[in-house]
Amino acid sequence: MISVKEHQSLLEREPRFEDSYCSIQALPKIPAIQLKETRQLVSYTRQFNDEVVRPLALKTDLKTFQDPDYLPWDIVEKANEWGFYTMFIPKIFGGQGWALPSHAYVIEEMSSACVGIANAVFVHYLGFVTVLASWNLPLINRICRDVAEGERTGNPCLITLAITEPGAGTDVEEVELVDRGKVTCYAEKVKGGYIVSGSKIFISMGHVSQWHALIAYTDLKKPSENTVILAVKTGMKGFSFGKHEDKMGQRACCASELIFQDCFIPDECVLGDSRYFPNSQIRETGDLVNQIIHYVVEVTRASVGAFGTGVARGAYEHALQFAGETAVDGKLLINHEWAQIMLAEMYKNVIAGRLAYNEANYSNSLKGGIFNFLQIKPLYYYLKYVPQIVIDTFLVPFYRFKLANWAIRRIFVEGQSMEAQKRCSGWSSIAKFFGTDMGMKNSQMALEMMGQAGLRHDQGAEKILRDSKLLQIYEGTNQLNRLNLFNCLIARSVPQAKVFEEE
Amino acid sequence: MLTTVKCELKSFEDLARSFAAKELAAHREEHDRYPFGPFFDSVITKAYEVGLLGATLPEECGGIGQEISALCIILDHISAADASLGGIIFTNALAQEIILAADNKALLADRIGNAGDARSSLIATSSFSNPSETGVTLEAVKIKDSYLLSGTMEYVVLGGLAGHALVPAKIKGAKGYSFFLVNLNDRGINKSQPVFSLGLHACPAVDLNLVGVEAKLIGQEGEGEKYFSRASDRMHSAVAAMQCGIMKGSFYEALDYSQQRCQGGKEIINWSGLRMILGQMAVQVKIAEMVVSEAAMAVENQEPHWNLYSKAAALHLSELACKLTTDGIQCLGGNGYMKDYGQEKRFRDAKHVQAFLGLAPMKKLSMIRDILA
Repeated sequence: MISVKEHQSLLEREPRFEDSYCSIQALPKIPAIQLKETRQLVSYTRQFNDEVVRPLALKTDLKTFQDPDYLPWDIVEKANEWGFYTMFIPKIFGGQGWALPSHAYVIEEMSSACVGIANAVFVHYLGFVTVLASWNLPLINRICRDVAEGERTGNPCLITLAITEPGAGTDVEEVELVDRGKVTCYAEKVKGGYIVSGSKIFISMGHVSQWHALIAYTDLKKPSENTVILAVKTGMKGFSFGKHEDKMGQRACCASELIFQDCFIPDECVLGDSRYFPNSQIRETGDLVNQIIHYVVEVTRASVGAFGTGVARGAYEHALQFAGETAVDGKLLINHEWAQIMLAEMYKNVIAGRLAYNEANYSNSLKGGIFNFLQIKPLYYYLKYVPQIVIDTFLVPFYRFKLANWAIRRIFVEGQSMEAQKRCSGWSSIAKFFGTDMGMKNSQMALEMMGQAGLRHDQGAEKILRDSKLLQIYEGTNQLNRLNLFNCLIARSVPQAKVFEEE
Repeated sequence: MLTTVKCELKSFEDLARSFAAKELAAHREEHDRYPFGPFFDSVITKAYEVGLLGATLPEECGGIGQEISALCIILDHISAADASLGGIIFTNALAQEIILAADNKALLADRIGNAGDARSSLIATSSFSNPSETGVTLEAVKIKDSYLLSGTMEYVVLGGLAGHALVPAKIKGAKGYSFFLVNLNDRGINKSQPVFSLGLHACPAVDLNLVGVEAKLIGQEGEGEKYFSRASDRMHSAVAAMQCGIMKGSFYEALDYSQQRCQGGKEIINWSGLRMILGQMAVQVKIAEMVVSEAAMAVENQEPHWNLYSKAAALHLSELACKLTTDGIQCLGGNGYMKDYGQEKRFRDAKHVQAFLGLAPMKKLSMIRDILA
């Protein structure tokens, strides 16, 4: 028999057991009821697809070509009506409180019908997770309550993340790169708040959102340690929208330019300023900024993997239907052996993409992952069954106390080891670049199978190809995600490895 | 590369290159907006005037009577700037080639000779389908010396612009299918709006509905498949040339951008990860140039198995072009996805051009049929 110590050290070897087998570790700890909930959410989304997404998908895409000024208000209204914008916001912030890990299944489902509309619905959670990762309870609560209020009153309130700048795309995704980049969004501390100047581009759903988690810098020469995250509300003085992009695909989801000209943001709208982060035992200031970015992408990159998987599925479903209805060389395409093999390959690509985003989400459910805390069983069931009024009366008033904010930072900031951060971030990158590569692969294959019919807009397959390409670019290009995977899970076994430092 | 093998092509290279630079490059995005923006009629007229629409058409039919290599070099350089015009030249040439394969030179000379302008000189055809693969939907009835065509026909490229259309139809009771030429101004023809499509926006197709339309038989009854295959064997090398042009356009755009754009404190071309992508693209472009040159010469010199070289060139370069243009967008990141740069258009166009002459997998299968024959 091997000793406990040996056993441990054997499992510590690369590939480390803890980092490589996430689902089997996470599953026993996940509340059993999440299975039932996920089934409910998937069927609900299928219904939404039937009633809203599919009837709108091609029509909306066409409309954006006919009318370049089109903004997706109609889609936002429908999604708001159906409750998608509060669905995954925890009840402690006034949302419906469905388990966050379930969101990936819902994303895949909706993306299989139209990834443009799915993005118009779910990019809101990119904003939400950014707000959340500031661990600033009063402000998280305020913004999320606005979303809930918007749902109640029929005035949709969406959140964006405003990070990309004209001169800095990849640079702003990595703290190690940002100091060498050309960021321009400058925030100056003044009495009672900050004054921001600069612009952001490619901000998904900017024009139709109410809150914007804006990343700005108090020192443009050393942004890594001088990052502020500000909550900016549409309509604030000095904040306006520029153009929205003429994209190849995902046209139902606008990509906006946000312009800030001496825009004053009051102190109560500051989600976080890295210069005033409480000291950490395990992280320097730059690492703390990096942790926030990575908390966000640990969720959102896996979500983009689910987008990619959904696209792969949509392409496969189109090809399958076409093969079942179309005769080629005197027999149905589906009865050509080569076509069966091609369809099996496409089916496999969907499954493999799904496995990857699932594993990434299981990694997020393990200790140090963002889902872990709210999945603790007693807490989960308590929040599920306790009436909202109890939470609002007995829990919410504590948000403004220092102790509550200290505790939440204790759990999420100090409570996440560097190993856990790397596991979650590495897995999220795998899910992202693999799932989106599968989306691209399947949408190409579908068109090859469909030939002339696949070229027509009214058949829907060509739109999938156009939509799909963006997934390999946003949330960090697939190249950056490969480097992040290397950085997180590979480089450590070769001490002489340096990332982002190529001469 | 072709011009070093055959130096007399240099003049066509110069012609296509300067035409592309002058007429196409600057307005590419504007032309691509069709059918939601105006059609580039003046460009078509100029292309007609300088002979781009009749490269392989015999002189007695009003063309410039060149070999396929001239068509390839023209398509290569035109498609590098805007593959839509390439698609128009290709479709028109395919229709001409089918008619020539049926030895109907006189008809061609008559119809094109009598055309008053660029549009009416064009011959529309369903250049994305191989009729024997996907079936023929039109029916022809013979009445005395002429034929009447009825039925619907999907995706007739240039159908909304051209003076005539070359369409396949089945003659009642006869075997196989036959090609017919119809006048698109015939009152029995109902045209749809332009079919909005993936790529080649300015090379539009329409769906046609024919009710008792008088039609001229091309060649012999039931010989359609023979003519199509003779013409398409030649025209595969032209598909390869278009893909080669698209690839060059995408590669040079990416090369240019990556020397301007800085991330991580230096031009992105100086990160070896991106340079590797560019390196791969360069390999693909060089291979494409070789393949087009060899395929065109094989067709032109009627080398043994020339048709296999031609088809292999189209299949292989289509796959390469789809890969390369995907990377071509990637090198520009978010900017590559926007209409302001040509990269997203090249990505769509490459996939679109891949579908010329029928389903790609079926073309692969036909390679083996041809080898065994």
